[in-house]
Amino acid sequence: MTTEETVAYTPEHPPRLAWAQHAPEVYKAMLRLDTAARRGLDPRLLELVKIRASQLNHCAFCLDMHSKDALAAGESVERIIQLGAWEESRHFYTEKEVAALELTDAVTVLTGGTSQAFGSGGGFVPDEVYERAAKHFEEAELAQLIAAITVINAWNRFGVTCRMVPGHYEAGQHQ
Amino acid sequence: MSRTDVLDREVGRALSALSAAAKKGLGDPALAELVVIRASQLNHCAFCLDMHLTIAREHGVDERQLDLLAAWEEAEGVFDERERAALALTEAVTVLTAGFVPDDVYATAAKYFDENRLAHLVGLIVAINNWNRVMVARRIPPGGYRP
Repeated sequence: MTTEETVAYTPEHPPRLAWAQHAPEVYKAMLRLDTAARRGLDPRLLELVKIRASQLNHCAFCLDMHSKDALAAGESVERIIQLGAWEESRHFYTEKEVAALELTDAVTVLTGGTSQAFGSGGGFVPDEVYERAAKHFEEAELAQLIAAITVINAWNRFGVTCRMVPGHYEAGQHQ
Repeated sequence: MSRTDVLDREVGRALSALSAAAKKGLGDPALAELVVIRASQLNHCAFCLDMHLTIAREHGVDERQLDLLAAWEEAEGVFDERERAALALTEAVTVLTAGFVPDDVYATAAKYFDENRLAHLVGLIVAINNWNRVMVARRIPPGGYRP
């Protein structure tokens, strides 16, 4: 007998709100925004950014979706797992990827600090973080990266607020 | 080092469409401005604050509400229950990194907004969060908005 057969997981929670059905124009605009923001970006890098932002925003649905999409696109399990502590596992990533992850963290955690004078803990996007990103991404690509980070933040907000249920996504379903 | 002011045209258009659809579906322009200004305060977006305070005044939003918005929880008698429910939801959806959107915050919002309005209110909070990020990341200075 395998342990799988005897494990009783906690029950699945229902979603709070079918937002896309109640606000179809909003959903349509989100799809348009997503398509526009991903143009010109390396899809592999994009999945890393999406998974990292979804970790910070605790979006279970988005983590389920983007880890599956990343795996299907050939990403390694190690690199996906280490995203949760990327600052300590930089050698899993290229300099360019690290710069993108750093920017992702800064653009995602805008709240928390009261002013830049308080240092880390949220608030603004530090100059050094922006500058490192600008060293690795030329201007148009950087603008797209910023846009892409904001868009996964948007999906995260819908996912968390409406309690979208993780576990049912199949890789490539929304691509 | 100056930051880029580039925003892909189609990204900008899609974002505008997102805001417009959410605002229209919510159907309460004055409340929409309160929500948008509060999120911009939390995200420290100077450009967005400048723009939406201007729009709020155009819509005739009560000056006292604008003055006290940053401390709305303590501003007794200034915001009604429906506005407070929307502002509480705005805070919860904006500060996600501190953890989820509490059941009581969501339930209170659902008491004052039917599912249709609520979906659009969430959409509006998401949209302004997106604009806040786009502006803060590029350090776009306030004052660029022209009515």
